Amino acid sequence: MFLYYCDLAWRSIKKTPMLSLLMVLAISIGIGITITTLNVYKTMSYNPAGDRNDQVNSIQLWSQGLDTWDEFNTNMTFTDVSNLRNNNELAIKAASYRTGLAMQSDDETKAPVLRSVRVTDTDFFTIFDVPFLFGNRWNKSVDLQPAYQVVIGEQINNTFFDGKNSVGKTIYLNRKPYQVVGVIKDWNPKPKYYDPTNGAFNDAEHIFIPFSLSEQEEFDVWGNTSGWRFEPMLSYQDRLRSEKTWIQFWTLLETTEEKNQLQSWLTRYVEQQRSFGRFTDTAKTPAESAQISPVDKLLEDNNAVPSDNKILVGLSVLFLIVCLVNILGLLLTKFLKRAPEVGVRRAIGASRGQIFAQYMVEVGMIGFIGGIVGLLWAWGTLTLLHAEFNVDPSVTGLDSSMWFVTPLIAISTAALAGVYPAWVVCRTKPSVYLKAQ
Amino acid sequence: MLHIKPIVSSLMRSKSGPLLLLLQIILSVAIVANASFIIHERLTMMQRESGFTEDQILSFNVYNFDPEIDNVKQNIIDQQILRDIPNVIDAASTNMMPLSDSGWMDRFVDGPDEDTAKSMPGFAFYLSNDHWLNVMGAKIVDGRNFRPEEINTRIDETGMLAIISQPLAKEFWGDESPVGKTVYQGEQTIKIIGVVEKLQGAWVDHRNFEYSVLANIDFGGNNSNKTYVVRSLPEHIADLQEQIVKVLHAENPNRVIDSFSSLTEMKNLTYSNHRLMATILSIMVMLLLLITALGLTGMVMFNIQRRTKQIGTRRALGAKKTDIVSYFMVENYIICIAGGLIGGMLSLQLGKQLMSLYSLPILPIVYPVIAVVGLLVVTTLAVIVPAVRASSISPAMATRNV
Repeated sequence: MFLYYCDLAWRSIKKTPMLSLLMVLAISIGIGITITTLNVYKTMSYNPAGDRNDQVNSIQLWSQGLDTWDEFNTNMTFTDVSNLRNNNELAIKAASYRTGLAMQSDDETKAPVLRSVRVTDTDFFTIFDVPFLFGNRWNKSVDLQPAYQVVIGEQINNTFFDGKNSVGKTIYLNRKPYQVVGVIKDWNPKPKYYDPTNGAFNDAEHIFIPFSLSEQEEFDVWGNTSGWRFEPMLSYQDRLRSEKTWIQFWTLLETTEEKNQLQSWLTRYVEQQRSFGRFTDTAKTPAESAQISPVDKLLEDNNAVPSDNKILVGLSVLFLIVCLVNILGLLLTKFLKRAPEVGVRRAIGASRGQIFAQYMVEVGMIGFIGGIVGLLWAWGTLTLLHAEFNVDPSVTGLDSSMWFVTPLIAISTAALAGVYPAWVVCRTKPSVYLKAQ
Repeated sequence: MLHIKPIVSSLMRSKSGPLLLLLQIILSVAIVANASFIIHERLTMMQRESGFTEDQILSFNVYNFDPEIDNVKQNIIDQQILRDIPNVIDAASTNMMPLSDSGWMDRFVDGPDEDTAKSMPGFAFYLSNDHWLNVMGAKIVDGRNFRPEEINTRIDETGMLAIISQPLAKEFWGDESPVGKTVYQGEQTIKIIGVVEKLQGAWVDHRNFEYSVLANIDFGGNNSNKTYVVRSLPEHIADLQEQIVKVLHAENPNRVIDSFSSLTEMKNLTYSNHRLMATILSIMVMLLLLITALGLTGMVMFNIQRRTKQIGTRRALGAKKTDIVSYFMVENYIICIAGGLIGGMLSLQLGKQLMSLYSLPILPIVYPVIAVVGLLVVTTLAVIVPAVRASSISPAMATRNV
């Protein structure tokens, strides 16, 4: 029966080609625009931490003075980060910031390149579950006793070591030798959730070096340094001693108990720092001055999804509704025109349900075709966005879920538009039309 | 005579079609009004003059990793090398680039006592030498440029001078000239010596985007990572990149020279989100109008077919062709104006929501009005073709089928 209805629907669609084309066009454009904006929104609001969202936490402290910043800063001061790194109650923890260094290898033929580098602790790889190709992260002792060790990305390993196992080999960063201890597989989470403060859609670094080297090597900071009071930074020591914030701090908390424990440690910490004359904003209680944020909260606070995007999704849904109303009108027009035909069918025994089903199949078919065309529109627009507006390819790639979402939206939109016209037409009284003939 | 009453009563007889049309118009007005407002806002934003000769400016990054390099000396040598390249008009070091999304922000106060002094609004803080204004093509309107002997290398040296942007001067001092005034920051005193007409900062969305200060500190000596800007005629910019790498590497090979970008490219990049938003919304508005128009045409055509007999009868009873056309037009206008009124109110409401949720400016009432007028024009075009066709139905049609 279903196939027979499909056949009938196809004949009916062919019978009024202009009207059908109009309907398919309307629905496909509506779908195309909605899917485009939805796709961008979805990839931007993606949480790379997935199931581990509640475990991967960053810490923020209200270290600013009274009447300065009115929000927590994502970054922390060097003083606070050092104290947190020395907190033995916290098993897994990593400080992290971005720098840039000129890189060379023993191979003289390869020109030096300037690369952005992540300065961090060894637990960084555990917290973010970074997959290794060769070797491993550096030893935990390196976080306390600085050593010139480095973890490099697959891409760099390919360029400088022809993709062979380079563990034990040496690379030079600003002409200092670093020993390779590990090579990680391609790892480029989008959004860049471990550091959303400067460009949430920047690429991940491919070089990782120990945070413990910071004081002796005085790495430049390639990220935001924010201050809430005037503090000249003439030397690196000034930076380390200042109240300026520039370092992210991450930890892995398995249970709520661990979380509570950390929160109470932080409260005590703030109280202690207040007695030293820091954390001068007394409008906040010590407990309120420390925040433990899981990944989703951090991304939200850093506006990983720009508000323009949300506006676009909202407007495109309204747009889809306009298309729906438009199709509703056209379907009503079309079905009513066929009322005499329905009258005959009813007279020779078709039930209302059958008529209704027949017309809904037709509507569904229009929706399905519209959905496919709409998906093509969306694909075209996304490709265009990528080419014309420097939108990141990770955002403009068609999300796999869209293959299900699109036909679903398309068919349900069409069905929603078709219910009323189909209902009107199935209530046709056969007698009226039989008489007229 | 417009015969509104019979038209309304005929609309009331078969409600569903006109109601759908009404709904469509309400939603369209709401979308078109808000979208065109956002488009207009973004376009105005992108049309702001930067105050620079954008197509003549090339910036790039030099990273010295040779520990033997004396950055202060090297910086002076490098700038001289750059200025000596043929076709280069001028070159300077800079701590940040305008329209680049990254840079320095700072603020000064107007008195030596931190507790009583009034703070200037935050501004983009450029550090460079006497060549910078020439490289960037910024125009001094009051006071003077730095002199070569006035250039410092460190931010804590005494004798800091500043050239500020006119919007910043107006905001803080009103019509009074700021030249000769002294401002303070911590231990440092800063004398203002000049005003430039326009000097934009790095962040196009920042409310203090037009507020900038240029100080007499040749920043290239402070750091192993430096940015330089060179000015050259647009036709030479393309070849310049290669020449710059060559001459600087000839001086010292232990450095990475990269991130070449013209100011035009930077401007394009930094506004790309806004251009994107404006483009998508414009496409949306056009498609919306197209769909509304096509849907309307389809419906009117159907109505005409259904009413063939009535139209014939009216014609037979003495109605002129124009009467028939005006019937369909008036019918359309009644729905449009009713929909426009409700849609206008809805769009203002939607604008309010957008304002509170995403801190967009409030929707001015003129946009719903424009949207309604636009829809009236589009629907007129959509209706007029089928209506003219209807008017050519012959009166004989009425008698044939009775």
